[in-house]
Amino acid sequence: MTQEVTHWLDNLLKEIEGIEVRRKSSRRVRVDVPADALPALLELLQGRAGYIHLSAISCVDWIDDDEFELVYHVWSYENHSLVSAHIRIAREPGVYLSVYDLYQPAGFFERDIHEMYGIQFEGSPNMEKFILTEWDGPPPMRKEFDSEAYINEHLSWQEYNPEWLQELVAEGGGVIIPPEEQRFSQKKK
Amino acid sequence: MSKPIDNAKQSKQNVTIEHEEAGSILSPLKALQFFMRKPVTVPLEPRPAADNYRGFHLNDHEKCIGCSSCQKVCDNAAITMVKVPHLPEDPINGIRNLRPAIDYGRCCWCALCVDICPTSAISLSREYVHTCTQEEIDSYFILPNETGIHGEYYGEGWQKTSDSDLLDLNRQPMAELEAEERIDNFNEIVAGYTDQQAVIEASRCVQCGMCHDACPTHMDAPEYIRSIWQGNLEEAVRWIYQSNPFSHVCGRVCTHRCEDACSIGRRGEPVSIRWLKRYAMDSVDHERIKQIAAEGKADYLSGKQIAIIGAGPAGLTAAYDLIRKGHQVTVFEARKEAGGMPRYGIPEYRLPYDMLDRDIDVITSMGVKIQTGIQVGKDITMTQLEADFDAVVLAIGLHLGRSTRVPGADHKQVRKAIDLLRRTTDDEDYEIPHRAVVIGGGNVAMDIARTLARQQQQQLGKVQVTVTALEDMAHFLADPVEIKECLEEGIEIYDARGPQACIIKNNKLVGLKTWKVRSIFDEQGRFAPKYDEQDEQIHAADMVIEAIGQMSDNNLLGDELTEILDWQRGRLSIDEQGRTSADWLWAAGDCVNGPDVVHAVADGHRVAASIDEWLNQQ
Amino acid sequence: MPALSKASFLEHSHSSADPKLKNKRNDMRPENYEAQRQPPSNEYELNFGPNHPGIEGNYALKVKLHGDIVLEAKADGGYLHRGFEKLMEQRLWIQNIALVPRICVPDPSPMELCYSMAVEELCGLKVPQRAQWLRVMQLELSRIAAHLFTFGGHAATTGMYSTMYWGVADRDLLLDLFEEFTGGRVYSIYNIPGGVRRELPDGFLQRLTETLDYIESRLPDYDNLFFKNQVFVKRAKGTGVMSREQALEWGVTGPNLRATGLAFDVRRDDPYLVYDQLEFDIPVEESGDAWARTLVRRKELMESIRILRQVVEILPDIHGPIRAPIPNPLAWNVPAGETYTRVESSKGELCYYVVSNGGPKPYRVHVRGPSSMHAVQVLEKMSVGSRIEDIAQTMFSLDACPPEVDR
Repeated sequence: MTQEVTHWLDNLLKEIEGIEVRRKSSRRVRVDVPADALPALLELLQGRAGYIHLSAISCVDWIDDDEFELVYHVWSYENHSLVSAHIRIAREPGVYLSVYDLYQPAGFFERDIHEMYGIQFEGSPNMEKFILTEWDGPPPMRKEFDSEAYINEHLSWQEYNPEWLQELVAEGGGVIIPPEEQRFSQKKK
Repeated sequence: MSKPIDNAKQSKQNVTIEHEEAGSILSPLKALQFFMRKPVTVPLEPRPAADNYRGFHLNDHEKCIGCSSCQKVCDNAAITMVKVPHLPEDPINGIRNLRPAIDYGRCCWCALCVDICPTSAISLSREYVHTCTQEEIDSYFILPNETGIHGEYYGEGWQKTSDSDLLDLNRQPMAELEAEERIDNFNEIVAGYTDQQAVIEASRCVQCGMCHDACPTHMDAPEYIRSIWQGNLEEAVRWIYQSNPFSHVCGRVCTHRCEDACSIGRRGEPVSIRWLKRYAMDSVDHERIKQIAAEGKADYLSGKQIAIIGAGPAGLTAAYDLIRKGHQVTVFEARKEAGGMPRYGIPEYRLPYDMLDRDIDVITSMGVKIQTGIQVGKDITMTQLEADFDAVVLAIGLHLGRSTRVPGADHKQVRKAIDLLRRTTDDEDYEIPHRAVVIGGGNVAMDIARTLARQQQQQLGKVQVTVTALEDMAHFLADPVEIKECLEEGIEIYDARGPQACIIKNNKLVGLKTWKVRSIFDEQGRFAPKYDEQDEQIHAADMVIEAIGQMSDNNLLGDELTEILDWQRGRLSIDEQGRTSADWLWAAGDCVNGPDVVHAVADGHRVAASIDEWLNQQ
Repeated sequence: MPALSKASFLEHSHSSADPKLKNKRNDMRPENYEAQRQPPSNEYELNFGPNHPGIEGNYALKVKLHGDIVLEAKADGGYLHRGFEKLMEQRLWIQNIALVPRICVPDPSPMELCYSMAVEELCGLKVPQRAQWLRVMQLELSRIAAHLFTFGGHAATTGMYSTMYWGVADRDLLLDLFEEFTGGRVYSIYNIPGGVRRELPDGFLQRLTETLDYIESRLPDYDNLFFKNQVFVKRAKGTGVMSREQALEWGVTGPNLRATGLAFDVRRDDPYLVYDQLEFDIPVEESGDAWARTLVRRKELMESIRILRQVVEILPDIHGPIRAPIPNPLAWNVPAGETYTRVESSKGELCYYVVSNGGPKPYRVHVRGPSSMHAVQVLEKMSVGSRIEDIAQTMFSLDACPPEVDR
């Protein structure tokens, strides 16, 4: 991004109330806005600054803050820069507005976030299940869902008893530390 | 796949394809030119894969120490540690008889296990395929050895290289005083880690726990190292106090067997476990340490009274454990101050005594009473202790120096190292020799030599200390760091020299005569030094210091008790719990085990547990 | 070979306590489908996939047809869902390097790179020059392999299986190279945060050159058999057309976007590694149909070869380490922060949004594969109005990769 464009963009972004702009590198800008200001920001970015490509919407579950963070990554083919707009919404009820009207790719990302985090996007064209068609449990990407515990509860490990192991057991040896006991080096020996 | 090179055309045609000028409908038929070409086939018989291939696991069982780092880094929980009883198990040297077994239903062949392996025992083979029917599913779970999954060696594929090694083999350097900065004072030499150094050093640990197994008192080193890494120093201190209330001392002067067993030390420098312990202890506020140490202390009194003789690491560790269990403990200390061998045997440049005081303060703050200046056997008798207390612990250390008994050794200028060290601690004056010769090659010899060197520098302005030892340099008993620092401080070391006589002229000591040592032990391994009499040297001296070993002063027991107790080669004989043949008397520490602080701490725990169990049974 | 036994899985999934859940699950199984009587109509529904030779991977398109014209299409994913994003939150930073390439099977290398770049950015690791060149080499080899695979698949959807056999066999030569320098044929797991894991074996660049020569020499044969083949040209031209405006509106990236005439490539316009030191062109086509998309890939293959030849020339002069020092992976806390890294995969714009809360594991990893656009909304829209026999071709010409959608 040229210097000129940078200034112009900065001035443009100042039109949004409560905005915080951080330039991370020459082609990466992070902006934080209040949730209700996001549609206006995106409209501005798309309509007046050429950020016409919605690269992705990412969702982060900040369970300790009781909030979801939604990050809208938009790219400008003209400025060659990517603006990531961050907003926070309350975890409960977990409702936000769809930006499908502005960016059609949002349809997929909102559907995905709805499925994985349970966030409802008002006005999104399709909130049907896509990946987890057979899943009736809680939205699995939420931090409180412990997938490992679920697996341990519902599925069993393959058990092996090869001859060499039987021989070692006869000698007084055998399995001492099964893998699940030391998984990811978090549990105490 | 073998490459059909015969088809390669070297001309680089830059073909432009425009869909307007699309080829003729017959152009696909040009492919018929390959009709007669020899087909590309791959023979069915097995062939080795590329040199870097990540095939099936190979494990050199001789190199593998069973540290289970592979299991920790495995992202798919594919590794099970299996005990193989016929392999050696040697905790002191950091070897376990565990070996990794691989579940090929889970393995994803990423080879992180290879890249992290501290011993580089694991590698992957150059073998492509393993498959089986459902009935043979057990063949997916293997205990790899040097030959590989099918017992047929295909050569090593992916191995650890310096590029892929995931372990940091170098420790964080420790800042130390240079020789010229330290020679005229008793300031502590080692500076201790900074916060950043400590975190980096702690992050080198792979949490194998070899240190825990090798430590006499089984400190939870992996846990406190991890806590240091996480920046949770109070948690680190909490782990430390699980097993060692003398950690200011052990963080400085421990013989650190943990580091000898450390699996990082297999190929690199072991984690600085001792300095990390010191860092954690130094970083937490002393008052907070007291609170942490008092956590879990019994909130009742058992009504039992225990007497401990000797306020050193063994005695005070026992006192710490017993007071936590609700017993009342009184410690009798003959000297002016508590601390035992660390205070009276270790010079202050290695162990500042205010650090020792902190350890003792934590213990007394819990309610342990220490009565200093009380000599058992003189001020109070053993009989009285037996009558007044439910149990008695003897932890009197080794305060008497042994003599070489060479001719002239009874001269007043022939001194014992342990005696001079005690005088230094107590600030008792003695005349500083102009030329000192030390006999002995252990840590005590180094301690006295370096102490005298400092005093000479302070009072006389130059260092003239000579150390003579029976052992040659390769077999020196002292810590290598001590030898290095001795030499830096200008102390001369003569190795393989056997003392023959202290030379006295006109009633004045003038030197030490030594012969070259040919061998120290006889064929049966008994101590029987042989000398080369031709190779004689006279080391000029106005003081000779004997530092060849210590013994305990058992006179305090009194004749009657000495008679009752069982003895073994001059040492009090004890059972595995540290109990003597008298059911009310336990013994612990250097006086029964020989000199070693951390061993004394372990001993203290042992006798405390035994006493507590016995008292509870009554 | 899954370690969890299938029998136990079935048993558990049927013995759910919730009767609602149970019924629902049973309904989903093909063996429980019952024919439903419908009023007579020319319209009918067809499940295209999940097991169908015309579908890339395991994926389905539920289409409503009138005769052989598609009235409505609904993408149905999830058959390859492995919960990677969730798994990554449960693994140490280093452990994920083994996981990410599995997100996209035909073109795994950009996944490794994108993840590693994110960790490097969060940690402030500086990747040595040599490692950057090695990474470029790996990426371009992977691009060639992926494109060969895609031609093969695309050709097969128009009934030309010879091209597929050729493509797969020639791709194997590249896999030989991968095996040699990364240790793995498909999942190279060659990148590690900080750099790469292996130096090149002796004489590797020579063998690379030979393979490139060979691939290049094969291109006229491919042209004769496929690209100039009138059957293919007639089938592909005018099939699955999108305008540039539509492409931009739908979030289309990569070769698919370039086939509508927009010369955009992350490698040039948002450069990473050493792509800004390399000479290469960005091929474009204007017509936006299946033909144009395939042709862009055909030309990109040439550009990748061109890049690789530059790498072969320059790499011997770049010395030094191949990895920045990284902490012990068992005790590695990545500083708190977030980053969005972006690379050009063979299929388009691939991005990772990685969040660290300062802990030993990622707090969040969001994988944005190009196919999450191409295989879902774009495919649904483009299928409408097309003939049933063109669905497969449309999908392959978009180079949609279902595992990337499902993650």
